[in-house]
Amino acid sequence: MISLTYKFTVVMADCPHTIGVEFGTRIIEVCGQKIKLQIWDTAGQERFRAVTRSYYRGAAGALMVYDITRRSTYNHLSSWLTDTRNLTNPSTVIFLIGNKCDLEGQRDVTYEEAKQFAEENGLMFVEASAKTGSNVEDAFLETATRIYQSIQDGRLDLNAAESGVQHKPSQPGRNLSNDLHQKDNCPC
Amino acid sequence: MFRFEMESRKAQYTRLRECSIFVGTWNVNGQPPPPSLSTWLSCDPEPPILYAIGFQELDLSKEAFLFSDSPREAEWERAVVTSTHPGAKYRTLALIRLVGIQLIVLIQTDHYGFVKDVAYDTCGTGILGKMGNKGGVAIRIRLYDTTLCFVNSHLAAHQDEVQRRNQDFRDITDRINFRKPPQTIKEHDQVYWLGDLNYRLDRLTHEEVKRLLILKEMPNILRYDQLGMEQSSGRVFEGYTENEITFQPTYKYDLNTDKFDSSEKARAPAWCDRILYRGKGMHQMVYRSHMEYRMSDHKPVSALFRSEIAVIDETKQKKVQEEVFKLMDKLENEILPQVTVDQTEVLFGLVKFKEPVAREIIVANTGQVPVEFNFVKKINEESYCKEWLRITPNCGSIEPGEKCDIRFEVNLEQHLGKFDDILVLHLENGKDIFISVSGDCLRSCFTTSIAVLCRCSLPILLMSPEQLRLAESQQSLVLYSVPRELWLMVDYLYRNGLKNKDLFESTALHDDIIKIRDWLDNGSLNPILDNVSAVAECLLLFLQHTKDPVVPYYQTDKCAMCANFAMCQSMVLQLPDLHRNVFLYICMFLKELLKHSTENGTDVKMLATIFGNIMLRNPKDKKDRPQVARGKVTFLQFFLDNDISGLIMPKQ
Repeated sequence: MISLTYKFTVVMADCPHTIGVEFGTRIIEVCGQKIKLQIWDTAGQERFRAVTRSYYRGAAGALMVYDITRRSTYNHLSSWLTDTRNLTNPSTVIFLIGNKCDLEGQRDVTYEEAKQFAEENGLMFVEASAKTGSNVEDAFLETATRIYQSIQDGRLDLNAAESGVQHKPSQPGRNLSNDLHQKDNCPC
Repeated sequence: MFRFEMESRKAQYTRLRECSIFVGTWNVNGQPPPPSLSTWLSCDPEPPILYAIGFQELDLSKEAFLFSDSPREAEWERAVVTSTHPGAKYRTLALIRLVGIQLIVLIQTDHYGFVKDVAYDTCGTGILGKMGNKGGVAIRIRLYDTTLCFVNSHLAAHQDEVQRRNQDFRDITDRINFRKPPQTIKEHDQVYWLGDLNYRLDRLTHEEVKRLLILKEMPNILRYDQLGMEQSSGRVFEGYTENEITFQPTYKYDLNTDKFDSSEKARAPAWCDRILYRGKGMHQMVYRSHMEYRMSDHKPVSALFRSEIAVIDETKQKKVQEEVFKLMDKLENEILPQVTVDQTEVLFGLVKFKEPVAREIIVANTGQVPVEFNFVKKINEESYCKEWLRITPNCGSIEPGEKCDIRFEVNLEQHLGKFDDILVLHLENGKDIFISVSGDCLRSCFTTSIAVLCRCSLPILLMSPEQLRLAESQQSLVLYSVPRELWLMVDYLYRNGLKNKDLFESTALHDDIIKIRDWLDNGSLNPILDNVSAVAECLLLFLQHTKDPVVPYYQTDKCAMCANFAMCQSMVLQLPDLHRNVFLYICMFLKELLKHSTENGTDVKMLATIFGNIMLRNPKDKKDRPQVARGKVTFLQFFLDNDISGLIMPKQ
């Protein structure tokens, strides 16, 4: 019933909590099509940077998360972005997310500043709150929709290795299969 | 699973809407239609939402049997369309005909937009088991969110062909295939089966039927109805319902009369024309025949249903769908392998040369499924860990609730200063855990370079950082012509070991090696451990692990190719001064040993083999070709066989 699987890499800049790479799946619906997201939530600590690089490979979407109340996390973005750009394919959709927008009083990074950074680098951008759930859902949906559109208008070649999209539901593994097929017409 | 979950929650997002469905069947005996069918199709006060009208023997001509065209098809369609209930407007959804078996489905125009998935199929069961003189046609639709299937069949004729009729029913049920799901008749939410099923009355004669009819003893006639009997014994129409028959038999009448067959054959009357149904929420309101139609030997039959049709509330459906997604996510994520690791930072503290240190981490399977784990390589690396680390086990499986101890052992054979590594513990089909390993390497003379040791005024661990820095940058003075530690070991062996049997061939206790290492590295007022074989082994270890080999790597191959002593001498003169000192110092010592070969059992060949490979050693990952390995031995042999006093130069 789910014919498309997207690999998503999430990196939370300077986040002390993840030691390694958490793996999970989520099903969402885009244009009437059920899509399964494989989410690789990678450790965003600087000391793991060399190791986390391998997880960007073959991601269809990348969510880069910083904390609006901690400028240090924002300052790390350009180095993470360099990795993301270098290690993913050009059609990978990169979404910048300013987390903890519920803590307006402790804000350390302005919306305008991050928005400008996103525009300069061609990233989608939203401020969200993982705590309240605000906008998080939208970021996932929006990213998945963009990927879906890339497939529809042919910018993302499903047959290419490391497109990050699988036609069949799959098990996570380090080697994503290239066993992909062009899918039927889009209902949207 | 998604479909299943959505289906089981259907009640949460669908409401039922009652729809009236008019079902009619008539064997028209090849006659053209009468001017109007209104008294049949429009006999109810309210207009039905949907009509399903079936005819049999629509066209008895040979042409109809042989060719697919029949002018009757359009004539009867028009007759139906023009006779629908005047209270509503209708539109044809589908019309299908197999020879004389025709089915037409009409719907009120207001509801037309809510019909999807219209499909039809036919199935001949006549001559050769497949010709269309007998058989069935079917149309299925999805009305709102309920699938409806209408079947019109004309089963085998004649009083005695009960089994044949049962078989026809089964063939139609099995062979009708709409090619898209739901594919078969049985898979539909509601099935309406109509037609000339041709079941007769057993035992009763024509006269007996007539008599019982006059006495209005309907149940006593129906007791002998073949269909009723066959169905109740489970041989046909399993799962189907038929309402009680209250009308008189619909077959066989003299044409243009209401009189039963008065011909010579005088066939007994029977209820050939029937309507059955199967499914949920189907309520049949009436079941009747229409006596006023006299042009055929059959009478038309009709049934009016009030059927519950599911209508999906899209907003509610979306909500339920999200719940189902969440549930599926939860289930899927719950069966992902999960482990906890008691520590992700493994600290080794100070690790000394040749003294392996082990730490254990505990990996516990806290998930619901068995876990397969292994350590995986990082990008651009050759192995999953550095060469100084050993992980046991490096892969394995853990049952839910079980634990596994993983042992990390660090064994340092070179000076690393601070050492660290990040290991990736990968769970098959699951997450990865990063484990950091770190520690400090304690300095030892064994892993320090000859050039540094010759500049050390004190045992290496007593040197201040500043003194060490100067020695390492070779800015401080050379204090010794050979490392002090080397001299201490050789001197001891010279004094105590020359006459020791099997020198360099017996193995010492590891503890003794450690004691000598600490004695050399820390300095002591006590003498060196009095154990010849241990000191001998330390001497070999020392020469084997100095940061730079005695003969530099780049000169090893050239030395191994020397063909005579003169060439060997010239190679030795090219060695760095301190390295040449060590080389010649060892050679002098070995020559001294050879003087006592009768007691200590050594010979030139043996010493040249041991020391040749140590002083002309290879980088870790390089293996010698056989002639190079032999050349190294030969090289040293030249020095042991010849007088080398001319090479020894006074200390500068």
